Amino acid sequence: MLTKFETKSNRVKGLSFHSKRPWILASLHSGVVQLWDYRMGTLIDRFDEHDGPVRGVHFHKSQPLFVSGGDDYKIKVWNYKLHRCLFTLLGHLDYIRTVQFHHENPWIVSASDDHTIRIWNWQSRTCISVLTGHNHYVMCASFHPKEDLVVSASLDQTVRVWDIAALRKKTVSPADDIMRLSQMNTDFFGGVDAVVKYVLEGHDRGVNWASFHPTLPLIVSGADDRQVKIWRMNDTKAWEVDTLRGHMNNVSSVLFHSRQDIIVSNSEDKSIRVWDATKRTGLQTFRREHDRFWILAAHPEINLLAAGHDSGMIVFKLERERPAFSLSGDSLFYVKDRFLRAFEYSTQKDTQLIPIRRPGSNTLNQGPRTLSYSPTENAVLVCSDIDGGSYELYVVPKDSYGRSDTVQEAKRGIGGSAVFVARNRFAVLEKSSNQVLVKNLKNEIVKKSPLPIATDAVFYAGTGNLLCRAEDKVVIFDLQQRIVLGDLQTSFVRYVVWSQDMESVALLSKHSIIIADKKLLHRCTLHETIRVKSGAWDDHGVFIYTTLTHIKYCLPNGDTGIIKTLDIPVYITKIYGNTIFCLDRDGKNRPIIIDSTEYIFKLSLLRKRYDQVMSMIKNSELCGQAMIAYLQQKGFPQVALYFVKDERTRFNLALESGNIEKALESAKKIDEKDHWYRLGVEALRQGNTGIVEYAYQRTKNFERLSFHYLITGNLDKLSKMMKIAEVKNDVMGQFHDALYLGDVRERIKILENAGHLPLAYITASVHGLHDITEHLAGELGDNVPSLPEGRKASLLIPPSPALCAGDWPLLMVSKGIFEGGLDDTGSGAHEDYEEAADADWGEALDIGEVDSIQNGDISMVLEDEHLHEENEEEGGWDLEDLDLPPDADTPKNTQNARSSMFVAPTPGMPVSQIWVQRSSLAAEHAAAGNFDTAMRLLSRQLGIKNFSPLKSLFIDLHMGSQTYLRAFTSAPVISVAVERGWSESASPNVRGPPALVFNFSQLEEKLKVGYKATTAGKFSEALKHFLAILHTIPLIVVETRGEVNEVKEFITVVKEYVLGLQMELKRRELKDNPIRQQELAAYFTHCSLQIPHKRLALQNAMTVCFKAQNLSTAAHFARQLLETNPSNENQARTARQVLQAAERNMRDATQLNYDFRNPFVMCGATYVPIYRGQKYVTCPYCSTHFVPAQQGQICNVCDLAVVGSDASGLLCSPSQIR
Amino acid sequence: MAAAAGGPDPLFGLRNNFYLGAYQAAINNSEIPNLSPDDVVERDSLVYRSYIALGSYQLVINEIDSSAATPLQAVKLLALYLSAPENKEIAISSIHEWLEDPAIGNNPILRLIAGIIFMHEQDYNEALKHTNAGGTMELHALNVQIFLKMYRSDYAEKQLRVMQQIDEDHTLTQLASAWLNLAVGGSKIQEAYLIFQDFSEKSQITSLILNGKAVCCMHKGEFDEAETLLLDALNKDAKDPETLANLVVCSLHLGKSSSRYLNQLKLSQPDHILAKRASTAEESFDKAVHAVA
Repeated sequence: MLTKFETKSNRVKGLSFHSKRPWILASLHSGVVQLWDYRMGTLIDRFDEHDGPVRGVHFHKSQPLFVSGGDDYKIKVWNYKLHRCLFTLLGHLDYIRTVQFHHENPWIVSASDDHTIRIWNWQSRTCISVLTGHNHYVMCASFHPKEDLVVSASLDQTVRVWDIAALRKKTVSPADDIMRLSQMNTDFFGGVDAVVKYVLEGHDRGVNWASFHPTLPLIVSGADDRQVKIWRMNDTKAWEVDTLRGHMNNVSSVLFHSRQDIIVSNSEDKSIRVWDATKRTGLQTFRREHDRFWILAAHPEINLLAAGHDSGMIVFKLERERPAFSLSGDSLFYVKDRFLRAFEYSTQKDTQLIPIRRPGSNTLNQGPRTLSYSPTENAVLVCSDIDGGSYELYVVPKDSYGRSDTVQEAKRGIGGSAVFVARNRFAVLEKSSNQVLVKNLKNEIVKKSPLPIATDAVFYAGTGNLLCRAEDKVVIFDLQQRIVLGDLQTSFVRYVVWSQDMESVALLSKHSIIIADKKLLHRCTLHETIRVKSGAWDDHGVFIYTTLTHIKYCLPNGDTGIIKTLDIPVYITKIYGNTIFCLDRDGKNRPIIIDSTEYIFKLSLLRKRYDQVMSMIKNSELCGQAMIAYLQQKGFPQVALYFVKDERTRFNLALESGNIEKALESAKKIDEKDHWYRLGVEALRQGNTGIVEYAYQRTKNFERLSFHYLITGNLDKLSKMMKIAEVKNDVMGQFHDALYLGDVRERIKILENAGHLPLAYITASVHGLHDITEHLAGELGDNVPSLPEGRKASLLIPPSPALCAGDWPLLMVSKGIFEGGLDDTGSGAHEDYEEAADADWGEALDIGEVDSIQNGDISMVLEDEHLHEENEEEGGWDLEDLDLPPDADTPKNTQNARSSMFVAPTPGMPVSQIWVQRSSLAAEHAAAGNFDTAMRLLSRQLGIKNFSPLKSLFIDLHMGSQTYLRAFTSAPVISVAVERGWSESASPNVRGPPALVFNFSQLEEKLKVGYKATTAGKFSEALKHFLAILHTIPLIVVETRGEVNEVKEFITVVKEYVLGLQMELKRRELKDNPIRQQELAAYFTHCSLQIPHKRLALQNAMTVCFKAQNLSTAAHFARQLLETNPSNENQARTARQVLQAAERNMRDATQLNYDFRNPFVMCGATYVPIYRGQKYVTCPYCSTHFVPAQQGQICNVCDLAVVGSDASGLLCSPSQIR
Repeated sequence: MAAAAGGPDPLFGLRNNFYLGAYQAAINNSEIPNLSPDDVVERDSLVYRSYIALGSYQLVINEIDSSAATPLQAVKLLALYLSAPENKEIAISSIHEWLEDPAIGNNPILRLIAGIIFMHEQDYNEALKHTNAGGTMELHALNVQIFLKMYRSDYAEKQLRVMQQIDEDHTLTQLASAWLNLAVGGSKIQEAYLIFQDFSEKSQITSLILNGKAVCCMHKGEFDEAETLLLDALNKDAKDPETLANLVVCSLHLGKSSSRYLNQLKLSQPDHILAKRASTAEESFDKAVHAVA
């Protein structure tokens, strides 16, 4: 049982869930009806109008209404929005036990101790039917959720089912209702609109509760005989099906669970019992110490139950609803029903993989809790609470995506939690001994490792590491080194979410989230009042999480905010940009699109990515008091400045960010003394004298202004100030100004005017103004003050200011990018860069420092090492002595004995040797390095005698047949033979043929290159390519016979080109022999070439012959050229012209050794035609024809084989041998 | 050694770095507090062997003086052996001498070094004489390698099984099984690849790991992938002989020019097995031409 909410109160007699909102009504024995929000855990309202206990309460499905009935015989209908009782239905003559709204008609059914059940119309506020028949208290009555039935339970030991179909018919029109009123009395006894359908007898004592099954024709009842009975009904009868025994006292309430095949009952024996409705066995019992249970209620929509007892109520659910899931790359693996499924994010495809074992339903809450997946092995660990914690290991078959319904035999084990720690290793927590067992995929224990703390769960923490959870802390434990890599004090951690790069981890507790790095260094903690459900990291390092009610974000610095509210709880699995993927409680994958602007903006600010901030300010609507407050609080008033329209706020922000110009603008608009003053203070702080002066002028602060002028040395304005003071009759100000100006006469005048004659006199005399002194003395008469003797007076003249004009040099306030950036978009970008560069510089500097520190460390390390060594040397004697005791000798002797007995195995056969033995393909011999056998093979098969062109090919083959593996440090590398045609299913230790560096497709590529060069007329280059092909072919290995034929064709094709090109090149050499030139050009046309090349050859021959006035032959070529339908119009035109010219004069100027009517082949060496019937010899490899004189020579075309030698033919595929 | 140790192993990280070819990291992180005297000796030997692996033979020869412990002396001998061809004779004779000495002859590191030296001499019988008894994971791993060199993967597998019994997850066990997997080929290549893949996820990526992955790729026929990995490795260490050698092989298979890498290898490591192979191939070709003609 998972308790979601609990209240403490007077005895709870009635309960009702709201169908949409997280609310529950509880009616108390004290007469109060409470309205609770069970999600927030707050009391929303209380309704206190009943007199005495309220036993029945019920929410309306759609209206803001609820009904209650109490021991005051009253049924009250309330509007919870208006917080008041709308009306009261009177009629029952005794306590009212239950009240319930009808799901669609405006009816209320009530059960009362007056032996009756009444049905009321709450719209007309009248009783429309009285159901009589029970002859004791009616303890409960309720409508059927779909049909026109009512079930009631009574202390008369019966359960009754009432048919109210007639009632529905009667109330089709409201007019009927009114008519019925008069009839009601006549119908009071034996009314026909509600008749007893069945009377279910079987309980031995009074029945307290009866309720319908939501879909099936079943009824369940509970009675004082401590039994729960199941009844079935059909159209004509109803009968008892079974009895559930187990409660030790009166059963108070019982109902069918709407989603699972179970029955839940509670009783005065202080227990809630859960029963299997099919097997009719008890599944679970939950007991309370002191409280008898009185009432049970089920949520109409979601999986929640509530039970009322002597001292309050509980809201609970029976089973966890969080689907077990595990994320791997682009896929989510999760369990739904009894199948393991995979969801691919990129395609949003959902596949059922394999069925998994259904837990034996003898207890609840045994479904899979967690899942761990190993992608390389395609294995899944499913952990559940079965047998106090156990796991099952399934391997998902690779291709046959589990169509089958049969559960594969999983490997099982007991353990608190199990999680993959490496590709083929998983760790199982053994709580009893507080150690982890590392197992392989065969479920065999590979290793045991005691844990550093008392652990009750383990989580993944990177390869080879485990995150161990204890009650109050978590640690990361390295399984291999057996050391703790990091630990952290936390509240009880429920889920662990790693970021993709495994650098950050979020530890989710019930009401808090802790973000830490991979060493569990604490970064921040968040507290939530509502339960935290799930979370995932987005690509920017923002943690997005869900509570029961919201999707929220958490920035790396711990700032959080709400992204979205949720109607139902979801479990986030992955975040792609603006899309959050989550699983809901039904195991459905849902994408949720969110607006990430706010947190991305804040993140950019945090990361000082001002360019992003700028573009976001420009492009999106981010304004709002919250954002401004955030910016201010985070120290970005200059940014906030751009969001604000209100001048006062603007002014404050400008001052805060030190942007004096902006402040001035605002101050001008506001124009209040206080703001001017503050502007002045800030301007003074910054030393912006212009604005200081302006501010003082605006505030008419003359004293400050005078002093300001004095300081800035602005004597003109100072004397003006004096005048102003005079006008204003401000003697003191005037005097100050005079003093500042050093104007003695003025001062005297002021003093005199002000009537301070003695002072004026003294001033004058001190400064030696004798004429005035005398004049004043005259006025003073006897009262001339005496001056102190022996003091030398001097004129106090203010020092001349350092700078007399303009502003003082200002402190360089680094101009934020926002200044100007937003006002002037043109230069904005530029400044961005500068700022960014600055930031980089700063960082670079930091790195530099770190580096230097590290270097320092290293040198220290080295020094320390030296120290160590020295120490060691000193202590070394002891050590060596310790090494020598006789004990150590004994094993060594035996070992020596053993080693002398040891006979090293004889070396095995190198793979290359195996290759040689198995193969009769020259290329494979060459790859194995057996060049001589390779050569012998080639000479036998193809008559090849000239190997020098093959040298580099042989060496390449040999070099390419092995790779190099550095194994043990400083030991010689292992060379490993590379085999051809690897497949994943190849069996080990069976040697395949060597991998060869040449393959057929390479040759095809080369052929294309050769063609291209030919087309371009680069004949020598083309020849090189074709020859290379011809040289490589003997060392080609293909797999199938079809390919062998292709290779053979290849030889012919290439040979023709080689021959043709050789002749063409020869022709070009022979500049002075026009007849031979013509002949060679003519022969060239007889090589089988590609059509375009053929055309070129024909055109060439045509031109050569035409020029040499061999018009007839030229015409022949022209005709042939035209027969090829040349696409090039030029070619065709020339050919036609030649043909026309030749027709006029059909003869040859010279005689050529060329008779195109007589079929011939070319001799590859002498380039003479060998006409049919003449003797010839051929090259055994390329099959070029030669005149018999060439017998025994190296073939001129392929440059490999001996002409006319015996050969068995090309062997280039193992398929030829088989 | 690490086999049945219950407590945390202070030298774990150092050893791992060393085995996986992160020699500089091994040297940099060798300052470990609270080591037992035995551990200190082992630490020092690992550090010096890292220097040897980096080619700083002279530094090792100079720093280890005659009063140092036996293992360090053995390490010095290895440095001496590898430093110059003319020193080989001396090194071999002293190793023979020391192995005869009953007081130190059984020291595992001495035996290990002996095994390495005799391997270089291609005297596998002599090498096995000293290493076959095992005793440390390193010795077992060396045995695996010797057997592979002898093309006796059956024996190598037996050694590996011993290692697996001692500690299946030990870095050397994993590495050795990758070596063996590569040697026997077939479906095991994939397993070898996964082992290297695991290492690349778990620890600092070294050119040894990248080469291992690349070799697996080549054996699987994925030469493009192998080339990417090898170029990565070349970025990490432009002079690593195995990287260059494997690049030669890979380029050959891709039909690209390999001569640059081969020349680089010949210059930096004239006695590398591939360089030798290239020159012996030429010789044997000429010889074969004569023989056939």
